[in-house]
Amino acid sequence: MASLSSRPRKRRGSGVSQWELAWRRLKMNKAALAGLVIVGVIGVMALLDRLIALYPPNCNVGTNPNCPNPGPKPDVWAIGIPPSWSFPFGTNLAGQDVYSQIVYGARAAFLVGIGATAIALAIATLIGLVAGYFGGWVDNVLMRLTEVVLVLPFFLILLVFLRILFTLSPGASGGLLVIILVIGAFSWPGPARIIRGEVLRVREFEYIVASRQIGASGFRILFRHLFPNTLHIIIVLSTLQIAGSILTEAAVSFLGFGDPNSITWGRQLADASEAVKQAWWAGLAPGIFITLLVMGFNLLGNGLRDALDPRLRE
Amino acid sequence: MLGGRRYGPAPSDSRWFWVRNSEPGVLCLVSLVKYVVRRSLYLIPVFLGITLLVFSIERLAGDPVQIATFGNTHITEEQRQKIRQYYGLDKPVYLQYLHWLSELLVLNLGDSFSGGSVSNLVGQGILATLELQLLGLFLSLVIAIPIGIYSAKRRYSVLDVTLSSSALVGTSIPISFMGIAFILIFGYYLNLFPSGGAQSTIQSQYLYGNVFLDQLWHLTLPTLVYTFAILAPIVLLVRSSMLEVLRQDYILAARASGLGDRAILYKHALRNALIPIVTYVGLYFGGLLAGAPVTETVFNWPGVGALFVVKTNVLDFPVIQGVVVLITLMTLVANLVTDLTYAYIDPRIRID
Amino acid sequence: MAETLLRVEGLRTYFYTWAGVVKAVDGVSLHVDKGETLGIVGESGSGKTVTALSIMRIVPAPGKIIEGKIEFQRKNLLAESEEEMRKLRGREIGYIFQDPTSTLDPVYTVGEQLSEVLVRHQNLDKKSAMDRAVELLRIVEIPDPEIRINQYPHQLSGGTKQRIAIARAICCSPSLLLADEPTTALDVTIQAQILETLKGLKDRFNMSMVLITHDMGIVAETCDRVVILYAGQVYETGTTEQVFENPKHPYTEALLTSVPHLALKRERLSVIQGNIPNLIEPPSGCRFHPRCKYAQQICIDKVPELEPMEEGHLAACHFARELKLKSPVTS
Repeated sequence: MASLSSRPRKRRGSGVSQWELAWRRLKMNKAALAGLVIVGVIGVMALLDRLIALYPPNCNVGTNPNCPNPGPKPDVWAIGIPPSWSFPFGTNLAGQDVYSQIVYGARAAFLVGIGATAIALAIATLIGLVAGYFGGWVDNVLMRLTEVVLVLPFFLILLVFLRILFTLSPGASGGLLVIILVIGAFSWPGPARIIRGEVLRVREFEYIVASRQIGASGFRILFRHLFPNTLHIIIVLSTLQIAGSILTEAAVSFLGFGDPNSITWGRQLADASEAVKQAWWAGLAPGIFITLLVMGFNLLGNGLRDALDPRLRE
Repeated sequence: MLGGRRYGPAPSDSRWFWVRNSEPGVLCLVSLVKYVVRRSLYLIPVFLGITLLVFSIERLAGDPVQIATFGNTHITEEQRQKIRQYYGLDKPVYLQYLHWLSELLVLNLGDSFSGGSVSNLVGQGILATLELQLLGLFLSLVIAIPIGIYSAKRRYSVLDVTLSSSALVGTSIPISFMGIAFILIFGYYLNLFPSGGAQSTIQSQYLYGNVFLDQLWHLTLPTLVYTFAILAPIVLLVRSSMLEVLRQDYILAARASGLGDRAILYKHALRNALIPIVTYVGLYFGGLLAGAPVTETVFNWPGVGALFVVKTNVLDFPVIQGVVVLITLMTLVANLVTDLTYAYIDPRIRID
Repeated sequence: MAETLLRVEGLRTYFYTWAGVVKAVDGVSLHVDKGETLGIVGESGSGKTVTALSIMRIVPAPGKIIEGKIEFQRKNLLAESEEEMRKLRGREIGYIFQDPTSTLDPVYTVGEQLSEVLVRHQNLDKKSAMDRAVELLRIVEIPDPEIRINQYPHQLSGGTKQRIAIARAICCSPSLLLADEPTTALDVTIQAQILETLKGLKDRFNMSMVLITHDMGIVAETCDRVVILYAGQVYETGTTEQVFENPKHPYTEALLTSVPHLALKRERLSVIQGNIPNLIEPPSGCRFHPRCKYAQQICIDKVPELEPMEEGHLAACHFARELKLKSPVTS
């Protein structure tokens, strides 16, 4: 190449870490901030659930407004009341206060979203890193496995699993956990491929090649060098996966295969759809909240992707 | 999901050899056939693996008959045994598998637990499902691509912001919610469209007295909802992919050669932008097929998805197996088509 | 007196980024005479590429040409319509980019990319355009052009790709060729060949060339005149002999002495201390002062003007006349 020293090394802006830089970029992205706010607000809602709800969970307001358990058949007057001051979102056909139910449902949404994503991305990261770094037959085998799982109609199989489970033990309290596990167990192939792609891109970086030559062991390189470099992509994939998992749970519950013992927005949507003509507000609220939360995560994910883009680092 | 942009997954490692000829871009027929055959051969072990997987997943939980009749106090163990014998479920598992597999190859999917041939049920349903799916996919692409291009070209304009926001809402809204809302508004309150089914049940209710028009009339609302659900993520993907491509050096170089905007946009930018889009649509298509249950249930559409929901509810295993395998097969075929399209668009992955 | 083909006066091109306004080109004036090769030299970030892009008016967003005048063929390019500019690009002015891998569209064959330019500017039909493309490949000395014409960029070596880029730039016999570091991305051995090819083409088609580079060696080999650019401004300009034998600006001296040259006796390799300047908030006064070993207070306070030292040789330094600067050519 040409002259050596007429190209002084570029020095990064004084002492700003790449994470701070990304945070700054994120802050400038209005849409991403909106997403963050939405997720934050609903998150707070989920945390404070009993504090901000008006009635206890699954309580029929017609019977005893302070009822701790689902009561007997609701009084007729409590069924399907349109939104009003005492019932901000109205009541549904089971006589429950929709607003309170929404508040309680937020928790399930976050649990499913984050839980399933944690599992899926953990598996995906492991497989992606190993396949991308070691290559060869390891890569081949793992990628074939990925393809097989990817081809399977995950949603259909999920339905079957859930149905079998709830048939065999209808009173089980771990229903939500099963949903989380199954969604997580089937959602890893897509992200795994993407992470592997990123590993392939990153592993040719000089400092990784250099540490290989110094004799650093495979695992050391994997965790100390490769993993941090794929972190940006893992974060983005995670946010988007959370959005997807919430939608999946909603779909599953809508079809009636969800956990009958948990309060989820999906189930509320399903219940409300049976008599949507009489009390359409009971369906509007969960539908809107699902959309809002998913949108929030999507906005956040897109914003993070732009903010963390390694090629824009300077 | 939106994770398909520049980090789009690597194409399934298609290696294929084609004869170099003097007309690039025209796939030589011989090599095309060779490729399809080669890939199909490769599919067989994958397919077998999948059937095995599906089969075992079911058996994992225990005896199918036991589960299907769980909680039903009226059936005696003797009757259960008879049922098992009828369906061949009392034989050892591997024999069951082999038998099922051999029947599968002659397209006999067995009998449903509620009587009737699985093949029949599925056959009827699949047509309705495909009708909705293919129409939806086609319309989505036709609408989404121009919108995405326009959005990329006029980035941050009022129209772009509107379109992108709508697309974002479209990707975030649960299909069930959208479907019910549409039925309520257009079907119930405005009474423009029927609220479900593929065809009016009574002849006198046919739209304008015509069966065909009546079917179209029933097709409208589900297609509308389904198309919107699919095109939303595609619009966003096209937009971001185009923006990505427009930043590339070869676009700048094309401008430096004096080429016009239209040539640059539609000839250079679009083709390069399509690469991740094809990947995404290909991936998504598999998911589409499996996503039919919700739409079909909401609109009472007599397709395979709705069938699956109903039968899974009663744990009718032969039907479940049949549908899962069929959908998987269709997904594999869709992947093949995607790979071919991919190779056609992007010469870099052809190895000669 | 040679006739002037291109004259740039007071060009300012700024980039409006989220981090601030980057003044990439901040008052550049230069000219190219017919038949000559002008070298634009500077480090990365000195504004060389942006200057060339501004001439073509293809500066990508968020860049904008703020002010200036660019005279070419009796027109002010900054006042022309986009449609008029499109007629010039690729036809009257050719551009060769630095990295041939990224500037060729990967999904079309070489032939398709060449012929589309020919079709656009010369109204040829597809077949004639393809034939002409083959001829062009021959002219840029690519062996077996009939085979290469149907190949894709990823199938070709770096040197070949750059020749194709050159072919695309000269396909309509432009009067001005802008070559932006055409050899930087290539092996040293290929570099010389490409430069030879360029020289030959220039003579054959009677073009003027602007060669952008950071390599003083290449300047010495190929350029008639040279412009030294630093932090978006011109600090010295003159004929190659003048600037090499008698540099008048400390930056030029630094550039010259930092090139390792086997034939010269030297004690050690000198390095330009410091870093490239921040273009959002450039140093006050003379922008080179933080790195200049001769800097005084006046260099911080007052912006030096470009003043003539001898006929055709200008430099912008408060101490240009006093300093006895060393040059490897003469010492």
